[in-house]
Amino acid sequence: MSQERDVTRLVRSWIREDQHESADRILGVVLDRLDTTPQRRSWWPARRSNGMNGFVKLIAGAAAVLLVAVVGYQFLPRGGGIGGEPTLEPSPSPSVLARGTFTAKGAPVEIDATREGDSVSGTMTVGDNGDTVFAVDLNCAQAAEDGRILIAGDATESNGDWVKKGDFTAIILKPGSPVHAVYAFGSDASSATTCSSFLEGIIDQRFTTVIGDGALEPIQGTVELGP
Amino acid sequence: MDVDLVERAQRGDKLAFSLLAGAIADRFLAVARRILRDQDLAEDATQQALLAIWQNLPQLRDPGRFEAWSYRLLVHACYSEGRKERRWMPNLRLLPVEGAAATDDLSSVVDREQLERGFRRLSIDHRAVVVLYHYLDKPLDEIASILEIPVGTAHSRLHHAMRGLRAALEADLRPTAREAS
Repeated sequence: MSQERDVTRLVRSWIREDQHESADRILGVVLDRLDTTPQRRSWWPARRSNGMNGFVKLIAGAAAVLLVAVVGYQFLPRGGGIGGEPTLEPSPSPSVLARGTFTAKGAPVEIDATREGDSVSGTMTVGDNGDTVFAVDLNCAQAAEDGRILIAGDATESNGDWVKKGDFTAIILKPGSPVHAVYAFGSDASSATTCSSFLEGIIDQRFTTVIGDGALEPIQGTVELGP
Repeated sequence: MDVDLVERAQRGDKLAFSLLAGAIADRFLAVARRILRDQDLAEDATQQALLAIWQNLPQLRDPGRFEAWSYRLLVHACYSEGRKERRWMPNLRLLPVEGAAATDDLSSVVDREQLERGFRRLSIDHRAVVVLYHYLDKPLDEIASILEIPVGTAHSRLHHAMRGLRAALEADLRPTAREAS
C-alpha cells in the first residue's frame, strides 16, 4: 500500500513540475483568426421543451403499437406451407440503411438512405421550422464497432454558416431505444478527400463531433435502421 | 468561470471571448503538453481547441458547464493531434540534478526518465485521465463527464495507467542498482 502511495506521489510530483510556459503567442494567433472564423449558430432552441403531456404520450404509444401490428401483419406468411404456392426467392434489392422523419439535436431531419451491395444512396434534409438548413446527397456509410451507423455525403444545399455546399456532412445514428444521433461536418475531418475517408476521419472521434454540446442525443420520432 | 462572459462570447462578443480565452489558454497549453508530451503538438492542440470553442460556443446549451465542455474540446484536440503521423522524438528534457533535488518526491533524474517513457507508452485515453486527475485534481465523476465515458471506465483507465507507470519505475530499479555498484 505504501508502495502504491509512493508511485502516486512520484507521478503527481512529476506531472506538476512547472514548465513556465505561456500561451500568449497561441492566443494572439487565435484572436487574429476570429474575424475569419464564423461562429456556428445553433438552429435549435436553447432548451428542448418537455411539452408532451401524458395524454399525448398515451396516444403516441397506442399509435406505435398499432403501427407495429400492421407492419407485423404484412410479414405473416401467406398461403405457404405444404402444398401451398411455391415462394420465389427475393431478388436482390436495395435494403434500408436509415429511413425516417425525426428530430435530432433539436433539428427536424428527414432521411432516406439505402444500400445495395457496397453502394449507398439517398438524401437527408435537416431543417428549421420548415426551412431546409442543409440537404445532403448521401453516398457512403460505415458501421462502427460500438454499433454506431455513420452515413455521409456531400451537402447539396446549405443556408447555415457551418456547412458549405459541397462539404462532407454526416449523421451518426446509434441504434437503441431511443436511437441516438449527432451530426458531423467537413471540419471534423478537414483533410478528408473522399466520403469514405471522411467517415474514417470521424469514426474514432471520441466525442463524435463538437457540434452542440458534443454528444449523441436521443432523437424524437422514429427511424428505421437497416442491418 | 464568469457565466456572463461566456454568454457574451456566445453572442459573438470578441472582447468577451478574448478575456475568456486569456483566462484559460495557459492552463490549456499546460494540460495539452502533459497529455501529448510534445510542445509543438500541444501548441497546435491548444490553438485548435480555442478556435473550436469560439466556433461552437453558440451551441453550448448550458453556459454553466463551460469549463467541462471546454476541456472536452481540448482533449478532443489532443486526440486529433495525437493521431497525426508525427513520430515521437525522444526529446526528454532531463533536469539537472540540482533541479531534481528541489522537488522533494521526485528525487531521481532516472525516475523522471522512466516516468516519461512509461507515460509515452500509454494511449491518449489513459494519459488524459492521468492528467485530469493528477494535474487538474478533477474527481473521477467529473473526468467521466468531460470524456463522456462511464465513471467505471475512468476509474479503470486511471488504474491501468498507474499500473503502467509503476511498472516503468520498477523496471528502473535493476539498472539503477547496477549503476550504483
